[in-house]
Amino acid sequence: MKKTKLGEFEELVLLTVAALQHDAYGVEIKRELETRLKERLSVGSIQSALKRMEEKGFLTSAFGEATLKRGGKRKRIYYTTSHALKVLEEMRAIRADLWSSIPLTASELKMI
Amino acid sequence: MSTPEHSQPPKWPLRLMRFFLRTEYLEEIEGDMEEIFQDNLHQYSVRKAKRIYTWEMFKLLRPVLLRNFKSSYTFTPYAMYKNYFLIAWRNLIKKKAYSAINIFGLGVGIACCFLIFTFVQSELSYDTYHTKRDRIYRITHGTRASEDPRNLSKEGPSWVWGNAPVGPALKNDFPEIEKVVQFSGRADVLLTNDDKKYQENGVFFMDSTVFDVFSWDLLQGDPKTALVNPYSIVLTESTARKYFGNENALGKTLKGSNSPGRANEGQYIVTGIMKDLPSNSHFKFNALLSLSTFKKSLPEIFETWDYVDFYTYFLVNEKFNEAAFKQKLPEFVKRQRKDPKTRYVIELESLNDVYLKSDADRQPGETGSLSNMYVFSIIGLFILVIAMINFMNLSTARSMERSKEVGIRKSIGAARSSLISQFLGESFVIVSLSMITAVILVVISLPFVTGLTGKEFEAGILIHWKSVPIILGAMLLIAFVAGSYPALVLSGFSPVHVLKGMTKSASGVNLRRGLVVFQFSLSILLIAVTIIVYTQMNHLLDKDLGFDKESMLVIDYNYDEAVNAKSQLLKTRLEENPSIVSAAFSRSVPGSFFPYAGTEIETKNGEMKMMGQPIFEVGIDFIPHFGLELVAGRSYSRDFPADSSSSLVINEAAAKQYGYKNAEEIVGKKFSQWGRNGVVIGVVKDFNFTSLHQKIEPLTLPFQAYSSRYLSIKVKTEDLTKTVQQVGALWSEIEPHRPFLYSFLDEDFNRQYKDDFIFRKLFTTFSCLAIAIACLGLLGLATYMAEQRTKEIGIRKVLGADFRTIVLLLSSDFIKLVVIAILIATPVAWYVMNRWLEGFAYRVEISLWIFVLAGFIAFFIVALTISYQSIKSALMNPVTSLRSE
Repeated sequence: MKKTKLGEFEELVLLTVAALQHDAYGVEIKRELETRLKERLSVGSIQSALKRMEEKGFLTSAFGEATLKRGGKRKRIYYTTSHALKVLEEMRAIRADLWSSIPLTASELKMI
Repeated sequence: MSTPEHSQPPKWPLRLMRFFLRTEYLEEIEGDMEEIFQDNLHQYSVRKAKRIYTWEMFKLLRPVLLRNFKSSYTFTPYAMYKNYFLIAWRNLIKKKAYSAINIFGLGVGIACCFLIFTFVQSELSYDTYHTKRDRIYRITHGTRASEDPRNLSKEGPSWVWGNAPVGPALKNDFPEIEKVVQFSGRADVLLTNDDKKYQENGVFFMDSTVFDVFSWDLLQGDPKTALVNPYSIVLTESTARKYFGNENALGKTLKGSNSPGRANEGQYIVTGIMKDLPSNSHFKFNALLSLSTFKKSLPEIFETWDYVDFYTYFLVNEKFNEAAFKQKLPEFVKRQRKDPKTRYVIELESLNDVYLKSDADRQPGETGSLSNMYVFSIIGLFILVIAMINFMNLSTARSMERSKEVGIRKSIGAARSSLISQFLGESFVIVSLSMITAVILVVISLPFVTGLTGKEFEAGILIHWKSVPIILGAMLLIAFVAGSYPALVLSGFSPVHVLKGMTKSASGVNLRRGLVVFQFSLSILLIAVTIIVYTQMNHLLDKDLGFDKESMLVIDYNYDEAVNAKSQLLKTRLEENPSIVSAAFSRSVPGSFFPYAGTEIETKNGEMKMMGQPIFEVGIDFIPHFGLELVAGRSYSRDFPADSSSSLVINEAAAKQYGYKNAEEIVGKKFSQWGRNGVVIGVVKDFNFTSLHQKIEPLTLPFQAYSSRYLSIKVKTEDLTKTVQQVGALWSEIEPHRPFLYSFLDEDFNRQYKDDFIFRKLFTTFSCLAIAIACLGLLGLATYMAEQRTKEIGIRKVLGADFRTIVLLLSSDFIKLVVIAILIATPVAWYVMNRWLEGFAYRVEISLWIFVLAGFIAFFIVALTISYQSIKSALMNPVTSLRSE
């Protein structure tokens, strides 16, 4: 866990890739995240997150089909690795654990 | 909204992206960007879509996505370079002999180039100090071959020396001419200040406009008025010091003697002192007399178009158009001469061309030779090339030694480019050391070079900040040219092969042979050329010129009337001396200046025909005194008093000029020359009165007792110094006002070959150098080959090979190469030297023995060089060579 830190934005992108399955390429990931987060994202931010995670071994990628809309250029489809899923699971577990250990009052107080 | 399907994303952000982003990401990201752009087109206007696209592009510039501009791995090359230098140094030290050959050879080559470059530089610098030089022109005077205006060919070379009226006429007719400056032909004047009396050989009658045109500094006096008044004189600093010491010369007077044809005797007032002339001036002088002096005494000359005694230079303004001006010159001449059929032509020469590119005769000073400059540059390059070939040969020959190093470097991961730079770097180190050697050599040899070319060399030209980039550039170029082949060969080795033990590369050997052949072709060419130059020069010096030039003492008294008046007395007194054979007076002696004259002589069919030819006005004894042979008629004689005014002796060529094949027939024919009428009394055999570059021209030798310039005295060879002293004593007794200036005729005559002598000396020096450097290289190569074959020789000896076989084995390779080189060099030398010999009217035939000799010399030197090594290895004990591994 320590060696391969996953940033907040990176985690979101990674989750999106996992959710989109075989549709997970740059523009689709961007579109999906934009609708979910309700804010505009730049291609650069998505791409740099993807590349960084690929380097860390969370993602693998392969060229997909080319479309006319893309000027004949191929898509790059990203896949999550088993390691990534494991890390995501761990993260969720840690978070859930933490949530459960927060005293009720504190959360209620904070909600006010 | 315009049709979105046809809209394309803007180009330049795309280009920007392609430049900055990693190539492996480009396809994906470009595709994404384009897809988003297309989506945006449906949503927004084209312009907004483009704006978003551009903005997104900029946001792509993130560290993760950027291309790696610097090397991706962190690597300090310092250690590597340190290692390169260390290896280079170790190689130099380990093979001291090779290094010395390389460095010394290249050093000599570079030094030669340096010196030749300096020489060329100084030749090119002539007259460049004149600030207005691009606007200064001069005219040359020529005669067309025919009256037909369409026929533009000239009768002979133009003369720079010409008439006076052309100057004012040009100024009058062409508004673009700002200033005209005219000066007389060089005058030799005797200047006297009390007891200080010198014959000045470089004096000109000069226009007052001189300082407006030429950039000569007048230190004292007014440049505008210094030469306006008659009897004004401007001295150079050193001349002023000569007459007046440390006194201020301005305003003082000097007595000037008469210069023939100028009637200028009188007291001159010093009106200016100017700096000494820079040595790179195309004409030089010690003093200037005002042209108005000349004009005052002989005003009619300045109106006469046929009187030749002036140089005309002029300064033009910015509106001057050279081509248009040249077009107007023929019209100008016709208008001025008032004769549409005139054959007189004037031509234009820019001051920038007068020293090196002028082909006109009768120059005011000496001229340089463009072709000599080319020849020297080529020789310099030859020597450098030979030295560079040594370097290439020795490094590639030794490449095997270093192949292991290359193999190891490559297996560790050295790129080919870094190996190339390593070897180029090594060659640069060697070139730098050679450069130091070269500088030392130049400093040592500079005084000798001055003796060689007769030109003052200033090391200052070399030690100049401008030469630093040139020297650095030259070093890089030499290092690159000499080092590139070894670098390419060495870096090209495949590590697998060399580490396994590769032995020989055939192409390398062939190339090396080719280079050796090339080197020796150049050397043999230079040797052959030197031999031919030598034989030709000996031919010139030994040729019977048709007159007696040995032990002939010549006194130049410059037409002094007082001397001429006492000529009879001088002659009698001189001939009383038992060591003097005879004495004679004349206006010209062979090899000196002579005027031209038009002469009418009766032809076979009885009419008088006008022809021009050189003229030697001689005293009565000239012909027997110089040993000229009479082929017809008789010489001048005291028995015929009429000889002094109505007789003429000519040479054979002149007889032929008037159509007499048989010289006897012209004797007794009528002649008319310079206002004299009479008959031709004799014909002398042709003698070479000019250098052997020229054929013997027709010549007339009229008898003129009292307008002589030279006294020539034939002396006996024993006790020459004493005789000269006696003549000097007699001279100062009879002619005390005239300095005793003497020289020897053969030396004077041979001075005409000054350029040829320089040529010979330079060729000798350089061909010796070339062959020495080539042999050095060969020695290195032979040594190396022998080392390589130590084992082979050992085995051969064990098996019974004798001494001779081994020497032959080691030498035959090189001997073959030299034979090929001889075959290549011979036709080239033959062709080149035929061209050179065309410049001589009297030349030697190039015979085969010259090439045989040149080849033999080369062969002998090569055999000597390699025999040392061959014999050494042949004598080696096979036990020692076979025992060690």
